[in-house]
Amino acid sequence: MDYVLTTNALCKNYRHFKALNGFSMHVPKGAIYGFVGKNGAGKTTLIRLICGLQEPTAGDYTLYGINNTDKKIKDSRRRIGAVVETPSIYLNMTAEENLKEQYRILGLPSFADIPELLKLVGLEDTGRKKAKNFSLGMRQRLGIAIALCGDPDFLVLDEPINGLDPQGIIEVRELILKLNRQKQITVLISSHILDELSRLATHYGFIDKGRLVKEISARDLENACRKCIRLEVSDMKVFTRVMDSLRLEYHVLSDTQADIFTKETITRLVLSLAKEGCEVLSLTERDESLESYYVSLIGGTEHE
Amino acid sequence: MNKLLSANFTRLKKDVFLKLCIIFMFAIGALLPVLDYHVMITYEFPRYIDESFFSYTSFMVILFSAFCSLFIGTEYSDGTIRNKLIVGHKRMDIYLSNLTACIIAGVIMCIAYLIPYLLTGIPLLGFFIVDNISTIWIFLGCNLVLLIALAAIFTLVSMLNQNKALSAVICILGLFVLLMLGAMIEDGLNQPEYFEDYAYMDPETKELVIEPSTANPYYIRGTQRQIYEFLSDFLPGSQIIRLSAMDAPSPEILAMYSGIIAVATTSLGIFFFGKEDIK
Repeated sequence: MDYVLTTNALCKNYRHFKALNGFSMHVPKGAIYGFVGKNGAGKTTLIRLICGLQEPTAGDYTLYGINNTDKKIKDSRRRIGAVVETPSIYLNMTAEENLKEQYRILGLPSFADIPELLKLVGLEDTGRKKAKNFSLGMRQRLGIAIALCGDPDFLVLDEPINGLDPQGIIEVRELILKLNRQKQITVLISSHILDELSRLATHYGFIDKGRLVKEISARDLENACRKCIRLEVSDMKVFTRVMDSLRLEYHVLSDTQADIFTKETITRLVLSLAKEGCEVLSLTERDESLESYYVSLIGGTEHE
Repeated sequence: MNKLLSANFTRLKKDVFLKLCIIFMFAIGALLPVLDYHVMITYEFPRYIDESFFSYTSFMVILFSAFCSLFIGTEYSDGTIRNKLIVGHKRMDIYLSNLTACIIAGVIMCIAYLIPYLLTGIPLLGFFIVDNISTIWIFLGCNLVLLIALAAIFTLVSMLNQNKALSAVICILGLFVLLMLGAMIEDGLNQPEYFEDYAYMDPETKELVIEPSTANPYYIRGTQRQIYEFLSDFLPGSQIIRLSAMDAPSPEILAMYSGIIAVATTSLGIFFFGKEDIK
């Protein structure tokens, strides 16, 4: 698998505080990577490191296969667009002037793409309105537009929906999806709003206390979080035969444990297994959301 | 670097505070010769164009300190310095492009004063009376080097401090401290070695009393004087006072010290900015 970003045992200390502690992650090309963690877990620190705003204390990372200690890392950075914490925009300039300024910083010879970029983020009608008079959502979208200057392949968004109203959240979400699907831009998006992330992400990385606790694809996470019945049975071979005959979707976890994903009456299920000589030792219904998965992953009540 | 300079120059063009500074400097430049002319006519006291030509330095630097801290501080307060770093610009280039923009802004402020001063001053007060016109050019050059040194100091403070308001306070207060220090040093150095002898009529005895000349206890001597003289040449605060009054027998020494300050502060600034954690 091609990775846009990989980090290897990254550490970042602020005096005696370890913001990142041996952090390793892998962002696949074309993914929307949901970076999940509570406040202070180290999400923004990681983003600052990969954007070159800060240097790691130890460990390293590669962007498009180029190590951060290599001088060519600056070329890789030109393929990145990022919104770190708050949108980086000149408040006394209009949306168009802000984009022109970023074009100059990038050394782009023509401003011809700017109207299209403004349209993409829904700011084409802002005219001479200064950014200081924009709503939070408009500023966020302008920040994303600036990050998109120079057609980056990799977009890094740090808490892009924080403080947005419901309409703003929908707009930003649709924009991210559009960029990923239409322009094949890889997106790393950090958030602690799990419900919102679950609507976007194709991959997840869970961070806690500066460490990556779990890295999982959305498909695997969905399987892990799907509503299911977990059974403990006496004979797994019989169990699989019965499930196949009943055409039920299931997943074997061990010699004695399996999950059944299809809704089925318990009586029919138990009777079918008993008829073949397979005892049901225990049975629990599981209904896990991304939120409960996250809480169970990083320590449950300790983090509530 | 050229890309960053291009972006910075565009910001300069749109900078409202710079425009206000230019208007202020222009107004002062046009007004001072008129005031001098008024003094000359009213009190029949000769005034020359040379006398106020460099006086802009002392008030221009106050505006300049505020401008540099606000111009660079905006990069931090608006977070736009991140846009430059994220797309891969070198920290040294970012630092030097900001320094260059500040120097250019300072030069524009000076020109905004000098042009109206000459346009109104020459018709009203006449041409320069200095023996050699090259003296004016030398002092102009020294003022430029001093401006670069001050820009380097203000850039250092503003680039290493991510709080715009705090940068502005440090730059402006720091400048006033330098100016006060300079004034104290100049005051110390200008003390006469002796109080001259003088005569007065004693009102009681009605006799003429002649007081002999006495040594001034505040006159600075020996090593202390050498230190004061060095500081007077070296410190930007003293240089501002001396250059604005064209009171420097060897202005090139002042320029040399300003050059050293500019190079030293810029080197330090680039070194520490390279290690700075940007938020």
